[in-house]
Amino acid sequence: MKKVLALLLVVVMSVAVCVSCGKTDSSEKSEINVCLASEPDTIDPALNSAVDGATLIAHLFSGLSKWAQDDAGKLVIVADAATELPAPVENDDGPVTYTYTLKDGLKWSDGQDVKASDFVFAWNRAASAALGADYGYMFDVVKGYDEVSAVDDDGNPVNPDAKLAVEATDDKTIVVTLSTNVSYWNELLAFPTYFPVREDVVASENWATDPSTYVSNGAYKLSSWDHNSLIVLEKNETYVDAAEIKMDKINFYLSDDANNMLANFKSGDWQLIDDVPTNEIASLKTEYPDEFKIAGQIGTYYVCWNINEDILPDTLELGDKDPEEAREEIRNAISLLFDRNHIVNDIAQGGQVPASSFVAMGLTDADGSEFYKNAGPEGTVGYYSVEESAYEDNFNAAVETLKNYYTFNEQDQKFIDFPTMTYLYNTSEGHKAIGEYLQSVLAGIGITMNLENQEWATFLNTRKEGNYSIARNGWLADYNDPISFLDMWTTVSGNNDVQFGKGAAADLKHYSLDLTEYGYDTKVENGTWAETYDVLISTIKTCSDTAVRYKLMHVAEDMLMATGCICPLYFYTDLYMIDDSVQGFFSNPLGYKYFMYTTVSK
Amino acid sequence: MNSKTVLYIVKRIALAILTVWVVITVTFFVMHAVPGGPFMGEKAISPGALKALEAKYGMDKPVWQQYLTYLKDIVTKFDFGPSLKQRGREVIDVIFDGLKVSAKLGLIAAAMALVTGVVLGAVAALRRNKFIDKLIMVVTTAFVSLPSFIIGMIFLIVFVISLKVLPGNGATAGGLILPVITLSLYPMAYITRLMRSSMLDVLGQDYIRTAKAKGVAKWKIIFGHAMKNSLIPVITYFGPMIAYIVTGSIVVEQLFAVPGIGRTFVSCIINRDYPMIMGTTIILATLVVIMNLVSDILYKVVDPRINFD
Repeated sequence: MKKVLALLLVVVMSVAVCVSCGKTDSSEKSEINVCLASEPDTIDPALNSAVDGATLIAHLFSGLSKWAQDDAGKLVIVADAATELPAPVENDDGPVTYTYTLKDGLKWSDGQDVKASDFVFAWNRAASAALGADYGYMFDVVKGYDEVSAVDDDGNPVNPDAKLAVEATDDKTIVVTLSTNVSYWNELLAFPTYFPVREDVVASENWATDPSTYVSNGAYKLSSWDHNSLIVLEKNETYVDAAEIKMDKINFYLSDDANNMLANFKSGDWQLIDDVPTNEIASLKTEYPDEFKIAGQIGTYYVCWNINEDILPDTLELGDKDPEEAREEIRNAISLLFDRNHIVNDIAQGGQVPASSFVAMGLTDADGSEFYKNAGPEGTVGYYSVEESAYEDNFNAAVETLKNYYTFNEQDQKFIDFPTMTYLYNTSEGHKAIGEYLQSVLAGIGITMNLENQEWATFLNTRKEGNYSIARNGWLADYNDPISFLDMWTTVSGNNDVQFGKGAAADLKHYSLDLTEYGYDTKVENGTWAETYDVLISTIKTCSDTAVRYKLMHVAEDMLMATGCICPLYFYTDLYMIDDSVQGFFSNPLGYKYFMYTTVSK
Repeated sequence: MNSKTVLYIVKRIALAILTVWVVITVTFFVMHAVPGGPFMGEKAISPGALKALEAKYGMDKPVWQQYLTYLKDIVTKFDFGPSLKQRGREVIDVIFDGLKVSAKLGLIAAAMALVTGVVLGAVAALRRNKFIDKLIMVVTTAFVSLPSFIIGMIFLIVFVISLKVLPGNGATAGGLILPVITLSLYPMAYITRLMRSSMLDVLGQDYIRTAKAKGVAKWKIIFGHAMKNSLIPVITYFGPMIAYIVTGSIVVEQLFAVPGIGRTFVSCIINRDYPMIMGTTIILATLVVIMNLVSDILYKVVDPRINFD
């Protein structure tokens, strides 16, 4: 027995020694283990629409521009495959043209030269109806997009030969014409959908699932992909700026279990994890003050109403008052009942910022200042105050407003005839906790709101179809321009969950729009949503005067917020943990993580 | 093997095929009845792109037509179609990738559970009411009552985070050690208890007493007579055990990030990846059906007295 014990001890000790020696034998290793999410849906630049996939693609491909950090640590967009990012040339009739020159010596990972025509091919492919990419619409600023993306009722392209207004005049020159000048164009060029792919490579549909057929042109090449388990990227020595790339090998472990990620982070096996268990956030913040990171992200967590849900009591006599105006007042009042500081500090706990407007923090205004700070009435930040001290006043004002429409029992301080509502959210501990808070606030003044959760895909469908009264919602922008928060609310938009201008609301002649002070003829009184908001959005999209364009976007947000159908709660943040041995890491506002310039010391 | 047995097996196989067909049909129609499609995301894709995708995957056709095409492809070509979410990959490849890992995990766990369970159960029975018996009973009671995700969590905290001696990720070398142990503890404990009571039962039988009276060596009695007959309940547990390991692996694979079929199964349901859901359901259902069949046949081999009728 003693012998067996002794043997066991020897085995255990040698294992322990082995494990520790493996970790300390080199002072600087050029390899990093990270875990962002589970198996990516795709790493085809055109098809990808996920943040984890975009991170992989940003390491594997090189577009005309890229995200980088300047010497002061500020995020900037710089030229990548292009020699520089030139200013546009304005044409007489409005569209603008950009001409790019590719750097010398650009190579694909299989040794072939990268040509201007590869970009032309890639862009047309990504935008085409035939591919059906989630982010095909990212090309809607490029002239010709409408023809390229049009399909008939059977889903076939209307014109299979249609092309975007982009051409390769020679192997090194790309000329592209945009239907309108957009301030975020350089940022779009750094977006994966705009990265080049080669025609012969993507001819086979499964090219992006195996390292042997995956040909890229970026800082890294796909070295191995053990499906559902591990993706390894190795430095691409033929990359034109290879000298700047510090990290030789990146191991992307594929897992989406936050608890498992945390275990591997704590054991020291993984240096970065992109998710943490919600219920651990508070303790991680104190346990790992330097390694627990909260980064800004351009997104808003909000509650949306179904505009067709009637919330007025049956017996109410409105007189001359427009019932929709009454509903707007009620919805806006309810929005004021919620303590956003409490939600952020005590429930979500991830460093989120209380929201007083819909367009998220992080998006810039015409003058470079924060768009959200200029939102709302002149002289205020947002449409209501989210100062902790203002909450009580907001709450009382809201109750006073509601008293105009509902019977209030002064004795127990409760409304007695507010119709029962149901709050819909997708299954998640975090959403549930927030739903319960909203429920408790409303219950405090006699409003009954039941909670209903649905599994993700069902939830999306229900919300999209408008089969709900009030629902949890969230939106993350794809690029730094407020329009990405505003054009989703046009009547026909697939993201118009509120159902503006749809169903019963289609005939709602309630909205007014006056753009005469901005130099337009548009003046509508008591028009439908389609006659006002939709017109406003298309005006913004074709407006070439930056200052006016941003003013119009504020007008659009004013219109949106006036409906009360959007109740912003907080601006999103991106939570991750990074080991303090890692230097040179950065992430962008879209949540992409960049490991190419990192070093790991132990 | 007599003709009766053969007939029985043929009948059972026919029944198994029928079962799998029912599973396919029910899953197919229930799945299509659930709201929300595979191309839905937080950000809606354009109606044009949606139409193009539906046309590409044949989802613009009526459901019954999709069903017939689906059945035909499986029967004639063993083709489960392409995955809708992991663009460019075939369902069958994704499943086999996962199945390879899960099979390794499951088979090692099953073998471990069987061997340890039978040995511990036999030891406990032979040392009835002694210290070792009580110890085994206490430990196995604990393992039967503790769900695998609790045991897995404890393992993660002890061996991965505190001691740092084993990896907590199924993708790395040695990463299967903890998941295998976690997965095998419940069936191991169950088999131990099963084996103990059945062994005690057999040891009390007349033929054992006869053997003892005739002076047969003790080890011969245990291994030659008692062991074989006490194995019958254990073998009947074989089918349920495989079912447990298949379903249990869903939790364990998630916990230890093992790239197995269980994790694939969970994610494809959340993603409404229709062909993946169908593929995994069919393969897993077939597995369970086959395992039950095998266990029934083994039953007969061990105890020829058992009549199939």
